[in-house]
Amino acid sequence: MELFDTTQLGLQRAIEGAAQRQTALASNLANANTPNFKPKDVDFHSALQAAFATGDRKAVSSAGFQTTTQTDVMRQDGNGIDVDVESAKMAQNGLEYQALVQVARGRIDIIESAMGTS
Amino acid sequence: MGLFGSLDISASALSAERLRMDVTAENLANAQSTRTASGGPYRRKEVVTEATGDNGFAGALASARASGGGPQGGVRVSGIVEDQTPNRLVYDPSHPDANAQGYVSMPNVNPVTEMVDLISASRSYEANVTAMQTSKQMFTKTLDLLR
Repeated sequence: MELFDTTQLGLQRAIEGAAQRQTALASNLANANTPNFKPKDVDFHSALQAAFATGDRKAVSSAGFQTTTQTDVMRQDGNGIDVDVESAKMAQNGLEYQALVQVARGRIDIIESAMGTS
Repeated sequence: MGLFGSLDISASALSAERLRMDVTAENLANAQSTRTASGGPYRRKEVVTEATGDNGFAGALASARASGGGPQGGVRVSGIVEDQTPNRLVYDPSHPDANAQGYVSMPNVNPVTEMVDLISASRSYEANVTAMQTSKQMFTKTLDLLR
C-alpha cells in the first residue's frame, strides 16, 4: 500500500499535461500573425485515459503527452490560428488546471489529517 | 520547460506586437513624407514574424544550447521589410517635390490599411496579455499545493 494511490499520481500527470497544453496554447496565440504557423495542442486526456485503462500504476505515473500539430488551414497566409478558439481553449485549460490542483490539494489534506499532522 | 515557458512565449509575442504597433505608427506618421534620408518619398514598412523553435528536434537542440535563443514556440521578428508597391502620384504643381509634369510622388501608405493593422496588433496584444494572466493564475494555484 503506497502513500499516494493511482488517482493521486494520475492527478499529478494531469496537472503536468495541462501545463504542457498551456504552453502549446500560449504559443498558438503568440503566433496568431505568423504566416504558415499551424495550431498545436496537447490531448493529455486520452493519453491519461489509456494509461488508466491499463490499470497499471506505472503506466499512469509515466504517461507521456504528445504535442500535436493541426494541419488544416483556414487563412490565405497558411496560418491556422483562430484567436477566439485558442482563447476559449486556454480559459478552459486554465480552469481545468485550477480544478486539478484543488482536487490534488484536497486529497493531500485527507492524507495529512489521517497522519494527524494538521 | 514548465509554466514559465508559457510566460516567456507570451512575452515574446507582446514585444513582437508592440513592434508591429510602432512600425504602424511610423507609417501613419510618415503618410505625407516626400523626403527621406535615402532620397525619394517614404516607403511603407512591414514587420515579418516567424515562430521560434518550430523546426523539429535539430532546432530545439540548437536553441537549447544557445542560451540567448528565444523561447520554444514563441515568436520572433525576423525583419522589417519595405512595401514595394508603387508610390501614389498626386497632382500638386505648387509642391516643392513636384516633377516636371506637376505630379508629386507620395508615400505608398494607405491610412485605412494602417488602422486595420493597428487594431489587429492591439487585439493580438490583448489576447497575449490574457494568455499571460491565465499562466500566472495557474502558477499561483500551484503554489497553493505547498500551503
